[in-house]
Amino acid sequence: MRDYIYQRPMVLGLLLSAATTALLLTGMLAGSAGLDDWHALGALLGLAQPDAGSGTMAQIVWQIRMPRSIGAWLAGALLGLAGALAQAVFRNPLADPYLLGSASGASLGVCLALVALDGSLVHMHWLSRLGLTGAAFAGAMLAVAMTAALASGVAQTLRLLLAGVVVAVVLGAATSLVLQMYPHLLQSMQGFMLGSTAFVGWDSCALMLAALLPGLVLAMVLGRWLDGLALGEQTAASLGLPVRPMRWVLIMTLALATGAAVAHTGLIAFVGLAAPHITRRMVRWGARHGVVLASLMGGLLLVAADLLARVVIAPRELPVGVLTALIGGAYLLWLMRRHQHRGGVS
Amino acid sequence: MNKWLLLLGLWLACCCAWAGVSITDDKGRKVTIAQAPKRIVSLLPSLTETVCALGRCKDLVGVDRYSNYPEAVRKLPQLGGGLDPQIEAIFALKPDLVLAASSSPGAERLAALGLTVLQLEPKDQADAVRVIRTLAQALHVPYPEAVIRQIDQEFAQAQALMPQGALGKKVYFEVGSAPYAAGASSFIGQTLSHLGLVNIVGPALGPFPKINPELVVRAQPDVVVVADSSFSAMVQRPGWGMVRALQEHKVCTFSQEDGDLLVRAGPRMGQGALLLARCLERLYPKGQTQ
Amino acid sequence: MKPAGPIALQVTGLHVALSGTPVLHDVDVSIPRGRWISLVGPNGAGKSTLLSAMAGLLPVQGRVELDGADLYAMPAAQRARQLAWMGQSEAVGDDLSALDVALLGRLPHQSWLSGLDANDYTQAEQALRSMHAWQWRDRYVGTLSGGERQRVLLARALAVQAPVLLLDEPLANLDPPHQADCLDLMRNLVSSGATVVSVLHEISMALQADDMLVMQQGRVVYQGPCADADTHRALESVFDHRIQVRMVDGQAIALPLSLRR
Repeated sequence: MRDYIYQRPMVLGLLLSAATTALLLTGMLAGSAGLDDWHALGALLGLAQPDAGSGTMAQIVWQIRMPRSIGAWLAGALLGLAGALAQAVFRNPLADPYLLGSASGASLGVCLALVALDGSLVHMHWLSRLGLTGAAFAGAMLAVAMTAALASGVAQTLRLLLAGVVVAVVLGAATSLVLQMYPHLLQSMQGFMLGSTAFVGWDSCALMLAALLPGLVLAMVLGRWLDGLALGEQTAASLGLPVRPMRWVLIMTLALATGAAVAHTGLIAFVGLAAPHITRRMVRWGARHGVVLASLMGGLLLVAADLLARVVIAPRELPVGVLTALIGGAYLLWLMRRHQHRGGVS
Repeated sequence: MNKWLLLLGLWLACCCAWAGVSITDDKGRKVTIAQAPKRIVSLLPSLTETVCALGRCKDLVGVDRYSNYPEAVRKLPQLGGGLDPQIEAIFALKPDLVLAASSSPGAERLAALGLTVLQLEPKDQADAVRVIRTLAQALHVPYPEAVIRQIDQEFAQAQALMPQGALGKKVYFEVGSAPYAAGASSFIGQTLSHLGLVNIVGPALGPFPKINPELVVRAQPDVVVVADSSFSAMVQRPGWGMVRALQEHKVCTFSQEDGDLLVRAGPRMGQGALLLARCLERLYPKGQTQ
Repeated sequence: MKPAGPIALQVTGLHVALSGTPVLHDVDVSIPRGRWISLVGPNGAGKSTLLSAMAGLLPVQGRVELDGADLYAMPAAQRARQLAWMGQSEAVGDDLSALDVALLGRLPHQSWLSGLDANDYTQAEQALRSMHAWQWRDRYVGTLSGGERQRVLLARALAVQAPVLLLDEPLANLDPPHQADCLDLMRNLVSSGATVVSVLHEISMALQADDMLVMQQGRVVYQGPCADADTHRALESVFDHRIQVRMVDGQAIALPLSLRR
């Protein structure tokens, strides 16, 4: 018998929410001077003297720090949600949200947009108006569409996976080709590929929230059906589940969530894979609460990573993708060791 | 008679000394160059420009893909980049001197193939002058001083151009959109301080740190220098509307080519300084006290 | 041979092709209600395909009727409540507990937004107990052995409480005592009015059913009671007389014949 850390999913949910709130509050204090900004909190609470200094401080907290922390949470939540859905659709615990080629599509979109912004691709100025964010999102969605088309629909898992690999490789090669022609874009692209929460503002938060809500609603409404998929497509069909439309809805939600996250924060690795796994090891899995908890876990992971990225070598920053891998990986490793100790069944 | 013998001996010694020039490159490699190289391959743009500034452009047989100045070198065969040189193509050209960056991964391989390789990578202004002198030695160019004097003249010109109102102003120089800043200890940072500007990114943070964007907002630079392709996105960054320099449009944007001028620690360093000085002259016209 | 009595499943003129290759040719079958029918035949005869077609899971040419209604035109939820199917070597996500898997059998009875109610839990418990699997209710199926997992999957099919059960190789991985339990279970289900169709490759076990459907190369070549000698002969002929059906203590057994005899 596996012993869970939390018997009741609600407990884990409350804990994650509490931890997230604490980190969000700390995020208000984390700036280019590290964590020493108590007067930031004071300014917010109206305790500091109303002078130009604290006015700017309040502005900095509301315009820069808060949207950044909340944006990090939203991106992490989107990736956690997408990861849980990907693992349900592919019935594979190693699935991550980037499996359908969305990462490569977003990279190519950003690459082309950078070229257009440069002025080199003048006739594609609509691309520069779309902005890097729009280009990343469009690229991600187009890549998933290509994958679905290549796999002739979403019915067969193996075909979908293979198509996703093909699309990822081809679009990745196209990106490399463009970078060969415009080598000065390498540094900007690297920033995107490592992921960054540096410039997340309130509008990004709004867009990410708009992508997150349908996913969460879906998870709660279709939770039992998601569990049914775990028995295999034919058995699920025999139980009356509309398997094909379900897969379409799941994959579109997955693509939307991944595209929204990647568009605003770049390619942050590991959150989509780790968050559902950590959740599975902490509480008994049932898609209805599991997907929501994986989402909360992903959000917490990324908020923590963003906070550390800002604070550890302030005013310099660490790449947030590196920190998600470190934190998530370390915690997952600890959970796995813990289960090994307790009787060998995992 | 003895006097003549002595003079003859001295002259011979000079010839011999001159003939076998022994140079130590930045990686500690000792290279002897017997005569002026006639087939030079350069894998670093600043070294390409130095070779041409020293008057040996015609001796170049191949360059890397990033070398684009002067115009003449664009017609030369491109042999990959600094980080991915095409070993075979370079070898096929039978160069008698290969110039590469210290960080170039192919240099060892080329040296092992028997080619004469010099690895030089100027990181700051003093380095750049030293590299010019070293390269002059290697190329058997007797008087590199003309080039160095030109650079000094240009720097002096730039300093003279700097308006009074711009001296001591805080500057933020963005080299990458993550954002990466040019710190005070970088080559660009040195140029900026030469011009009398104060970098908001101090030397303790390293040459090109990836900074928290909040730093710029809090430090409130007076002048922002950024590539023109990144500028349009810069004003849309959350919270950057508060940056006075952006509000008052105290911004110097540079194109791709001008960017090369600014970042390459080569013979055009002075022109880079002039570029910046001219921009600042526009931003702080004489007669306006700010 | 047309059996008497009400028909649970009626298959008419069924043609099924998988990946372009025809697998079932012009199959006409009537499954009477309240009987246990075993579906047998050599490897590749199309037994699993016929079972899946009868469960409404494959694209087919022809007609399948469940209690007189067109199975393929029926809404999926309604079909799921009346017909339970268990596949051969089903994959199960390792992260589900045995109780979770059994509870998934209650999906056809759940509406979208409602959760599980007390009756669902009762049914799942009963199903697990009847397969002697209740003690693993909190264990992950990934930690169970093949036979144990099979019993949990059978419980899942039982939990649906459907009047028609289609089981593909239900005895796979089970040891003899549990095989006997499973056969008893099927007899009990039938005696309480359910209809069971099981694909079995263990002929001796298959002969314990009420009726037998014999298939060969995509066609149904014989249908008849298991006790009949004609059925035994048909069986032997379909296996190229490499088996012999004998009566032992009033029960028919099939013995494989070695070529060396």
